[in-house]
Amino acid sequence: MDPPRDMPTVAFTRQDGSRYTLGPAEGRPLVVFFGYTHCPDVCPTTLADWKRAKAELGDKAARVRWVFVTVDPDRDSVSVAERYARQYDSTFVGLSGDAPTTAKVMEAYGVAAAREDGTPGSGYLVSHSSQVFLLDGAGKLVALYPFGTRWEALAADLAQLL
Amino acid sequence: MLMRPFRVLAAGAAIAVLAAACAPTETPQGRAVTAAWARAADSGATGGAYLTIVNHDSATVDLVSVATALAASAEVHESMQHDGMSHMMPRTSVSIGARDSLVMAPGGLHVMLNQLTRALAAGDSVPLTVRFSNGDSVLVRVPVRAP
Repeated sequence: MDPPRDMPTVAFTRQDGSRYTLGPAEGRPLVVFFGYTHCPDVCPTTLADWKRAKAELGDKAARVRWVFVTVDPDRDSVSVAERYARQYDSTFVGLSGDAPTTAKVMEAYGVAAAREDGTPGSGYLVSHSSQVFLLDGAGKLVALYPFGTRWEALAADLAQLL
Repeated sequence: MLMRPFRVLAAGAAIAVLAAACAPTETPQGRAVTAAWARAADSGATGGAYLTIVNHDSATVDLVSVATALAASAEVHESMQHDGMSHMMPRTSVSIGARDSLVMAPGGLHVMLNQLTRALAAGDSVPLTVRFSNGDSVLVRVPVRAP
């Protein structure tokens, strides 16, 4: 991303009542993905890739904020989103906003999502933007990774930021 | 950033590693599930699994359904990427040509396990019945991998 782009700050409420802010945090890069927990393929693949990238980075990865944001808050409660992200790594953060917060963060990141017909078994499906966003500690968007990008690319870029 | 070939390479590596963990299961007509793995997932959540099915027969056959007692329902779906968006659609039938194979992999064809009846953890296995259009079926024990 050249030049890096300033991103709006968006705050979420977590299950314990605390606030989690997607925004600048000195020295702490932010990795963000938008998906939904009923997603059996693309979202798990992305979070599993983050787990590999985190392992590759070793101790330095402790400074990275890894955040999954649901685009399906009607089905993904705050606790469901948190638990979903934690399945992959105890430090991964899962966020579910109320409708205005979800709309705000999707607009801020230019993320789209749309319900599509599923089956009686699956319920509705959700098409959604599938890039991973990388922000530096100053809260500037520095890279976008389309789905399918090797996780090593994210790890290498993070290593440069840390 | 390097792009997509990873998906194929990763799938290939996973299949190589897991081939030994999932003994081939073959129908009398020579349709075999030669590799399979499922993701760890919470009880009540949505799970995912990936199969490689080889058709040793001289006739094309369709994969028509999958079923397991560990989920309220199981379906074959396909993910697609278009203009930066991920889309997914149910596939009620997937053709496997004569002496060809069907390789499910992340970002493409996969098995969707709806409303898991119990949590799937690494080391577990999912009994999955795979049915074909000629009426044959095979029962596969799909090993669960850590996320």
